[in-house]
Amino acid sequence: MSTVGRFRRERGDRLSNGMVGFLLTVPALLLLAGVVCYPLVSGLVTSLFKQSLVLPGRSFVGLANFRSVLAGDFWPALGHTLVFTVCTTAASFALGFGLALALNVGLRGRSVLRGLFLFPWVLPSVVVSFLWLWIFNANYGVLNGLLMKLHLIGDPVAWLGQPGTAMLAVIVAKTWNSFPWMMVMLLAGLQTVPRDLHEVAALDGAGAVRRFRAVTLPHLRPMIGMVLLLEMIWNFQHFDTIYVMTGGGPAGATTTFAVSVYDTAFKGFDLGSAGAIGALWMLILSILVVGYVWLSERRSA
Amino acid sequence: MSAATATPRRTATRRVASAAARRRGRGGRVGAVVAVVVIGCFGLLPVYWLLVTAFSPTGDVFAFPPHLVPRHLTLSHFDNLLHTPKLLRYLLNSVVVSLITAALSVIVSAYCGYSFAKFRYAGRRSLMYLVLASQMFPQALLLITIYLVFSATGLLNSYLALVLSFTTFTLPLCIWMLKGFFDTIPDELIEAARMDGAPTRTIIHRIMMPIAAPGLIAAGLFAFIRGWNDFIFALTLAGPDRQTLPPGLVNTYVGEFQTAWPDLMAASLVTSLPVVIAFVVLQRHLVAGLASGAVKG
Repeated sequence: MSTVGRFRRERGDRLSNGMVGFLLTVPALLLLAGVVCYPLVSGLVTSLFKQSLVLPGRSFVGLANFRSVLAGDFWPALGHTLVFTVCTTAASFALGFGLALALNVGLRGRSVLRGLFLFPWVLPSVVVSFLWLWIFNANYGVLNGLLMKLHLIGDPVAWLGQPGTAMLAVIVAKTWNSFPWMMVMLLAGLQTVPRDLHEVAALDGAGAVRRFRAVTLPHLRPMIGMVLLLEMIWNFQHFDTIYVMTGGGPAGATTTFAVSVYDTAFKGFDLGSAGAIGALWMLILSILVVGYVWLSERRSA
Repeated sequence: MSAATATPRRTATRRVASAAARRRGRGGRVGAVVAVVVIGCFGLLPVYWLLVTAFSPTGDVFAFPPHLVPRHLTLSHFDNLLHTPKLLRYLLNSVVVSLITAALSVIVSAYCGYSFAKFRYAGRRSLMYLVLASQMFPQALLLITIYLVFSATGLLNSYLALVLSFTTFTLPLCIWMLKGFFDTIPDELIEAARMDGAPTRTIIHRIMMPIAAPGLIAAGLFAFIRGWNDFIFALTLAGPDRQTLPPGLVNTYVGEFQTAWPDLMAASLVTSLPVVIAFVVLQRHLVAGLASGAVKG
């Protein structure tokens, strides 16, 4: 920015009236305060009370909710949330990055392909869930049909009826839904890698793998860090696909924090316990995010 | 960038390098095509299966092993949808709520985005990041209090409850998207109008908003998609007569003794169509907005 521009700005020729500026943000801030900030604080406070969704009144119980939650639902929910988050994030990153690298080679019709591959991402999450429920269906599902045709399985598998395969099914569905976003972001990142650097490296005799590690990856690292972090946060909080596909079952095997809080509050009517799980959930997420940022900054330093 | 001086050397480099790339490139290209085909199958075959199921006669849908290529096509499942009155009700609710959400979201985030882009005041940057951070909180937790508040004020099961909650969660992206848009409009325009004595109100409404129209449309389409796709708020805050399509489909088809899969796939297709159309219109802006890094649908 030129000195003249900066000077002009400081003198305040540019809209100087800060009060007007602030007033313009008020509607947005009111909505965010009412629908996000207040409910967040209030939800966390609820964890210290015994309170029902349907009955009026509440009584202060201190940390009793946390004690009962930590003795029960918390640990399985933590395990399921971590498995779901790590597997979904890793799988969608692998597929998204692979596709981005492949499309970046300069295939004909790249932008058309990119648009086409984004479809799974734009579909309503409920539709994604129904579609994969149908594919994984034990009696008529196309997956069982294909696997039996290929003689990989002898009898139909009840994918959603067993703990391990049910988790696998929701991970596959969510990965299908998320990897296109990864692909778009990483492809955008790849296109900012300077061609000249690649060419110079190629002239110096660096092979494709070497150039990928020495040129592409360092350029892409901030973008990779950001998409992994965002995807991790979103998967950690994901609700829709799991709730529609399994409802947290079978036998609680896919009950993540989101499903657990929802069921405790809106099916068990126990707002205190729901608030306690929610508070622990946010605590773990904060630890993960801070740890992630700390690790990635230490690595880049 | 000083393109003029660099160009001759760069083209020379490129010529040599592309010869080298050609020698080596064939293996890479084959690998790329294989990767696109394999990942593409994972990405697109489920969509194919959605279409096949929605357009096949019921007998074919429940054949096992399934017919991978449809033998007959039919529109009968779509006809069934038309004869399910509650689905039409959900559709109407979805249209009403998503359109109002889009309109409200554009108005609120246009002013806020404009303020972030063109005004300077204390706390502006903190507010910007606060707006961005607000999408990071778990919605299931927020929902507890939101439900209690709407319940106490008698707003449960109203369009207003849905519109308010949908709109709020579109704001982070829409505000940042529109801020980016206003950033690209030169300040000189504002200064010139100011010299001519135009008040701020006129500058905003008569000059800036018309210029930003493509951005406003993009933000509106995004908000529409977000509202249309929402599940958890619509499921919890609305009863059957105000519910939108996503929870409506769950209520209609899940938990039946035998799920009517072809009808459900046809309904899923209908539910997806508006967002797919909005997305095709929006794609160019959305990809740019995505890359600016504040998104999730």
